[in-house]
Amino acid sequence: MRAAPVTTSPLVRRLGIAGVALVSTIALAACQAPAPEASGEPVSGGTLSYASGDAEPTCLDPHVGGNYPQALLAGQFLESLVSRDDSGEIIPWLAESWTADADGLTWEFTLRDDVAFTDGTPLDAEAVKVNVEHLKDPATQSSTGYLALGKVDRVEVVSDQVARFVMTAPDSALLESLSQPWLAIESPAGLARGMDENCQAPIGTGPFVVDEWVKQDRVSLVRNDDYTSPPADAAHEGPAYLEAIDWRFVPDAASRYAALQGGQVDVIDNPQPDTIAAAKSNDALTWLDAPRPGAANRIELNSGQAPFDDERVREAFIRAVEVDDGIDALFFGTAERSYSPLSSVEGVAYSDDSLFEPDLDRANALLDEAGWTERDADGYRVKDGVRLTLRFPVSTNQSIPAEQSLFEQVQATAGAAGFDVVIELLDLSSWYGALAAHEYEIVSAPYTKVGPDVLRILYHSDSITPAPSGYFANLAQLDDPEVDALLTDAASTTDAGSRAELYERAQQLILGGYYLLPLYDQQNSFLLSTSVQGARAMPTVSTPTFYDAWLAD
Amino acid sequence: MTPGSPTEQRRSFGGATLRRAGLLVAGAVFVLWAVATLTFFAIRLIPGDPAQAILGGPGSQASQEALDQVRSDYGLDQPLIVQYFAMLGRLLTGDLGTSYALKLPVADLLAAQLGGTLLLSALSLVLAWVLALGLAIWSTGRGRIASAVGEGIEITAAALPHFWLAAVLIAVFSVALDWLPPVGTGTPAGFVLPVVTLAIPLAGFLAQVMRDSLLDAMQQPFVMSARARGESAAGLRVRHTIRHASLPAISLSGWALGWLLSGAVVVETIFAMPGLGRTLLQAVTLRDIPVVTGVVLLVALVYVLMTVLTDLAARIADPRLRQESGR
Repeated sequence: MRAAPVTTSPLVRRLGIAGVALVSTIALAACQAPAPEASGEPVSGGTLSYASGDAEPTCLDPHVGGNYPQALLAGQFLESLVSRDDSGEIIPWLAESWTADADGLTWEFTLRDDVAFTDGTPLDAEAVKVNVEHLKDPATQSSTGYLALGKVDRVEVVSDQVARFVMTAPDSALLESLSQPWLAIESPAGLARGMDENCQAPIGTGPFVVDEWVKQDRVSLVRNDDYTSPPADAAHEGPAYLEAIDWRFVPDAASRYAALQGGQVDVIDNPQPDTIAAAKSNDALTWLDAPRPGAANRIELNSGQAPFDDERVREAFIRAVEVDDGIDALFFGTAERSYSPLSSVEGVAYSDDSLFEPDLDRANALLDEAGWTERDADGYRVKDGVRLTLRFPVSTNQSIPAEQSLFEQVQATAGAAGFDVVIELLDLSSWYGALAAHEYEIVSAPYTKVGPDVLRILYHSDSITPAPSGYFANLAQLDDPEVDALLTDAASTTDAGSRAELYERAQQLILGGYYLLPLYDQQNSFLLSTSVQGARAMPTVSTPTFYDAWLAD
Repeated sequence: MTPGSPTEQRRSFGGATLRRAGLLVAGAVFVLWAVATLTFFAIRLIPGDPAQAILGGPGSQASQEALDQVRSDYGLDQPLIVQYFAMLGRLLTGDLGTSYALKLPVADLLAAQLGGTLLLSALSLVLAWVLALGLAIWSTGRGRIASAVGEGIEITAAALPHFWLAAVLIAVFSVALDWLPPVGTGTPAGFVLPVVTLAIPLAGFLAQVMRDSLLDAMQQPFVMSARARGESAAGLRVRHTIRHASLPAISLSGWALGWLLSGAVVVETIFAMPGLGRTLLQAVTLRDIPVVTGVVLLVALVYVLMTVLTDLAARIADPRLRQESGR
């Protein structure tokens, strides 16, 4: 899944920094006595108030489209066939067990027999079939779920509780894909109401139910008292402790933090790094650090056109830029430098920091060797009368202010080697427009997905071919038959050991070709009042779950 | 006083009012048409494909079939001029269309958001008036120092950006003092900070205009004669000069409401209040053309209505205007 738009305008967002800084300063002055440690015994009842800085979804059904704001909310009222535990193992959820045949072309999922949707419809194999058909139907306008089911041909009903997935090709990422909230199982009767109605309040099997959605304001969720289906790694059974969740949309980061400090809300997402740093020294607040799975945040180098079609120029850029100090200073120690294309959440993530050691002399030597020998009046390198310009479109919806400042650091350090980095701050539509028109040499685009198969989406040459909208995922335009073969093999192998090995070799080639500059995991943080106990992030796509949560006094 | 019998006067007054009303309606229709036209073409100048906006927003991976289907369903495959007249036709029948992103009727979406924004704007306008009047009255006729201080406060207040003011107010009244919620709650307490944020800069503008005309009024002969009649300083203000001084501020209030509605985009976002401002921001981000057009038209309509109302209010405050139309 690509990152979703955040509603905050660049203006409000930039000013937000000033606001946060100010608020934190005054907050320090008004620091209160630490809250007492809450007792360990869960308490039933109460309404948890959540303030989200992510964009308000336009449809609450994550089958439609499929972005992160939808996943955040859907995780409270919809559930998937399988989940993932902290170690990355796939664990039972709505399906209690599953088997694949030897060639990986059919999978059979046995569903729990004690689960019903909140409209009373029982969970059965027919429901799974209807959901997969819903996701694959072009009229649903699914993007994330649709892609994840690319190798699923159809679902057959074997018995009430057994659903058979018939594949067009083996898919080693099937379970990881099915664990994502974008492939959650909804009530067939709910889906039959049609998209307009289902978008307002999808019906699932989750611990909470959508009660009301007041646009531009909030979604009210109430407890499902008949709840029976927690994932295998949940801390308790039966209904949730909380009676209700008041899910509010508060786009401004400073207001969100102020509301949390004042006790007006209990949990906020998307805190800015300086706010996290301030919260760490505040005993009344807890920091939940939950990096997203899939790809790490990284700068991709467009190898499909000059000047980065020359590996020497790519390496020169990567050797020239220095980001470590910037990450430390701008993220206040909340983000750790990455040297892998994959998130540290992924067990098969492969890192090699030796490739990213800054070395200005080597950068200069490489550029001289590549023919960029002259410099113009501004100190930028020139070859055949053309300046060494790198266009860098930056999405203000996806890059937080700290990241935008980091990119300015990239600009400055690359400038020392003679690169003219031109940063363009763009809104989401214009940003996608620039990418579709190939008007970029470097770009940073987050991508969230459970499992290492994200590498195939980002670096297989098939992903250079644009969708009709102009969108394509392989922004490095990496076109290497050897990488393609490794990624294709990894996606279809049934053996976990050889799968990991194939992904490691693919990552070595991707990193070694200097196609990307890894920065850090895709940051995903939550700040909680210490009165909120038992909340955690799902080990799937790191959305928070409040099923085990309770409010201590 | 205009000579003539009461009946004559009424008849001619009525005719003039009708003529005037006709002109106002024609003007309003022209403004709305111009706004609809400008919005229609302006929104097509910014990058972004409406068909993509309908199919899940920017960067969607919709199939060619889906894009073609949507383009023909929504008439996006027609020439621009055909689409333009189709939109005008719909607007004439009062149909604002369906939101691309939310798939709900625009009229319903706007109806749900209008109340909050209007209440916010109206309260801000009232508070701005109170603050401006107080400041203008306090700082005139009290010598050079008061006048300079008043002028300084006005200029500073008028120059304060909403986002900055909001951040400071939250830091002081929510975080440090814990008196007021930083995020709108729908309760009266939740309205205080947003209203103050919008009212302070506006009060600065209004006070500047009021003070100038108040000073002007103080120089008028009628002030001298009122004084000669033994009118007190307070009575003079209440009965004579304020009325005089408020005229330009009244005509400015129509403009002020438009200004408040644009301020609502920032204030509603910062204080997380539902309303037209946030709706507009989201719609622009998602290239939701029907919603953008709807909000812009609605704001234009409010603006036009306000102009008519301020015109009426000015007539009530200033008898000379009534005389003129009766002639």
